[in-house]
Amino acid sequence: MQRFLDPKVLSSISGLGLIAKTVVDGYVSGMHRSPDFGFSQEFAEYRAYSEGDDLRHVDWNVFARTERTYLKRYRGETNTQISLLLDASKSMDFGSHTVSKLDYARYVAASIAYLSNQQRDAAGILIFDDEIQNYVPPSSRQGQFARMVHAIEHAVPGTRTDFSKPFLHCQQFLHRRGVIVVLSDFYEEPGKVIKAMEPLRFRGNEVVLFHILDPQEIRPTLGEPKLLIDMETSDAMEVTPDYVKHDYPEKIDAHIAALKEAAQRAGMDYFMLNTARPLDEALREYLTVRQGRM
Amino acid sequence: MGFLAPWFLAGIAAVGLPIYIHLLRQHKSIPLPFSSLMFFERRTQSSIKHRRLKYLLLLALRLLLLLLLALAFANPYIRRTAAPASDGRKLLVVAVDRSFSMRAGNRFDTAKQQAVDTLSEFRPGDLAQVIAFDSHVELLTQPIDSVPELRAAIRSISQGDGRSAYGEISRTLRSIGQASKRPVEAHVFSDMQRSSLPSPFSELGLAANTRLRLHAPAEAMEPNWFVESVKAPATIYQAKKVRVQATIAGAGTPAAERKVEVLLNGRTLDSKQVKVPASGRMTVEFFLNDAPYGLNRGEVRIAPGDALAQDDKFFFALERKEAGRVLFVHEARQGNGALYYRTALDSAPNAAFTLEAVTTDQVANISPTKYSFVVLSDVASLPSSFEDSLKKHVQGGGSVLIALGPVAATRPRVPIAGEPVLESRYAARGGDRFQMATSLDASHPTIHGANRMDGVKFYHAVRVDAGSDRVIARLSDQTPLLIDKKIGEGRAIVYTSTFDNVSNDFPLHTSFVPFAEETAEYLSGIGQTPSNYPVDSYMELRTAKDTGASVEVLDPDGKRSLSLQESASAQTFRVSREGYYEIRRSSGRHEIAAVHADRRESDLGTIPTETLALWQGAGQVNGNGGAGQPSEPKPYSLWWYFVFALFLVALLESWIASRYLAVENEVVARKEAA
Repeated sequence: MQRFLDPKVLSSISGLGLIAKTVVDGYVSGMHRSPDFGFSQEFAEYRAYSEGDDLRHVDWNVFARTERTYLKRYRGETNTQISLLLDASKSMDFGSHTVSKLDYARYVAASIAYLSNQQRDAAGILIFDDEIQNYVPPSSRQGQFARMVHAIEHAVPGTRTDFSKPFLHCQQFLHRRGVIVVLSDFYEEPGKVIKAMEPLRFRGNEVVLFHILDPQEIRPTLGEPKLLIDMETSDAMEVTPDYVKHDYPEKIDAHIAALKEAAQRAGMDYFMLNTARPLDEALREYLTVRQGRM
Repeated sequence: MGFLAPWFLAGIAAVGLPIYIHLLRQHKSIPLPFSSLMFFERRTQSSIKHRRLKYLLLLALRLLLLLLLALAFANPYIRRTAAPASDGRKLLVVAVDRSFSMRAGNRFDTAKQQAVDTLSEFRPGDLAQVIAFDSHVELLTQPIDSVPELRAAIRSISQGDGRSAYGEISRTLRSIGQASKRPVEAHVFSDMQRSSLPSPFSELGLAANTRLRLHAPAEAMEPNWFVESVKAPATIYQAKKVRVQATIAGAGTPAAERKVEVLLNGRTLDSKQVKVPASGRMTVEFFLNDAPYGLNRGEVRIAPGDALAQDDKFFFALERKEAGRVLFVHEARQGNGALYYRTALDSAPNAAFTLEAVTTDQVANISPTKYSFVVLSDVASLPSSFEDSLKKHVQGGGSVLIALGPVAATRPRVPIAGEPVLESRYAARGGDRFQMATSLDASHPTIHGANRMDGVKFYHAVRVDAGSDRVIARLSDQTPLLIDKKIGEGRAIVYTSTFDNVSNDFPLHTSFVPFAEETAEYLSGIGQTPSNYPVDSYMELRTAKDTGASVEVLDPDGKRSLSLQESASAQTFRVSREGYYEIRRSSGRHEIAAVHADRRESDLGTIPTETLALWQGAGQVNGNGGAGQPSEPKPYSLWWYFVFALFLVALLESWIASRYLAVENEVVARKEAA
């Protein structure tokens, strides 16, 4: 099954819905695990009532037998609200092979949306560059997955990335706490990125950063001096193979490390996704970490 | 320095093209899009410098390429002295004429003595070369500095019977002059015969460094009477009189009376007095009665003699033979063919053949080698012993005439010749009642006098696949009628009809007689080889290229003229002396060839002084002052150097340009992938 989840293979499948189903079902059948993975309604424990607790959670049967008030707690107390923030800036359109970073991000977003739909969790998506391109509010209603897939499919590479404005809007839209998944190449100072997302974290949201990078962005190869054009700013720069070979890897590695460290310090999860990797591998890593945390 | 084709320098204007291209391309670069330049630093200085340097190098190479191309076409040259000064040392060439006309008086000895005397001009450091010439040039020595050797070489020159050709000696002197780096001084010792001048005077041209000096051993023209030609039959069969016709001519002579004698084998048979007009000619006829059988050496002689006694006689050869025997083989019941063929042979004006008709049953013990040729007249089968011996005879030089009729058409192949028999064709009663002979090869000797077989009707013919054989005549439906096939040293004539009056009415036509006679002469080889040859002509020794049978040639002294290898393989032989040559051919035939000198040599008229002066000045006219004078600078073309440089630059340009192309292709490929 693994070979079918290669990004190049997935790119040949038309329709994000089918891609998401392929990825998730493949993952599920591969893991032999329950789809509940932490969002289940399983009984967890009894806890003594204390003032302020919601009386709706009191187990009245226990009270009838023991005249003591206990609250019945479940592993997942409530349905989780998942918000996907998809960066559709121009730089996400880069790809050294058949799958661009935006395509890869689409697959990841569609897969998570599919998982949420299976869990009947409310899910929504916000597509942004320096402005908000599209917004599908989180919902668990029927047809939500189709709406999200439609929004994801119609995400087009915009202009440049600006995290401050979309995240400010996000704070206004998201009233409930939940999981916020950010899919971006994060070509920004790590401090600025974390600073833009910290308010969401402070509101009790769980923030997960998917750092999507192309193999050529991590370890570029250049045979001759080239004139490189920045896809977002259209700036041109003459670069040498020597620099690309020796200096650039240090810089990008330092950037990745700094972003990861800043994210973890701010209580956020960070995952680096190489677009050359099979998609389910990336999802497995993420979900394993998530399950451990739940 | 100059240019032989300066108009091509206009091509230098093309250098603007690469300049234009490079100016455009310098500002054009194919960018590579990248997601973000956030982690890149601008380090462009070295790379751009490097690239610009490469562009400039490529530009320079392209400019140089076009420049060299234009210069190469313009053909530049420099002027330089042809050869370094030779310190006054020269190459002395001594050429002595040994042609037939030098036999007059003591011309030849005088010329040789003069040549020896010329060696007194030989100085230390000089080189000299000795040449003998007539129509051919013989280099007797290489350029050497040994006077005794040179003297010995001059004295070893023997008198020849060839015709002198001044064009040939000039060509040789021209070659020597072109090959020699030192000035050439050529001394030619000849009687300066007017008839030896080449028709275009330009053939007498010499090299620029050659100075010609002519030495004539005789000053004034001497009157000369000579036997110009003799006409006599080469072969006679009957005991009738032999007609010999001789032409006596004079060159520079007054009117005079001469006694003409005809000799056969050294015996005078007849003589006549003839009046030869001044510088004219007169013909005299003899009728000889007593020509003995066999090979005879004939000679026509005039008296009294003059300065050039050798042309007062003319040799001819005469062979008297018994009538040739022809073996006519036919089927037992078909004797008409033999009757018609014998009648035709007997009716020929110069009847030279007797026919012996035998049937196929009687032929088994007969040897075909005893006959001039064999006729197979519509035979179905032959005794194997006779067929084998006939095949062998034809391979060795014999001949056979094969007539095909309804009987022979039953065989799959033509006997002896071996061509496949395709079909037997009768003229249709409803269509053409008969066929005519068309497409005749009139150049073939068998039908030369057959008057194109006019009016002959052919009712039946055997169709034969002629393959690559020579078809002499065809019928109107393109069926081959007469085929000439070469078999080894011999030949076969295939006649696809019969000699009787059934398949055709050819025997009833008058053209049948010359056909039968000429075919017989052709097959027996009569009249095919001339009996008189001029000196320096070639006689044919064998007709096929097989080297099995040997040929022997004896010169007038009775010595063998051919080496063993030549006698086994030589196709022709050049006769170089007057007299009688004996030839024993591969077929066993014994012949005598009479060889006489070219009678143009008998005209002792000399070249006018003005013409001689022109000839001597030919070298000076063509170039500089000739031997011993300083040479002017000559143009020396630099074309090859420019072409070589062009080749190198083109290679370098291709290599550098291909590296660019590879880089640009990579960029385009990555752009398309992105």
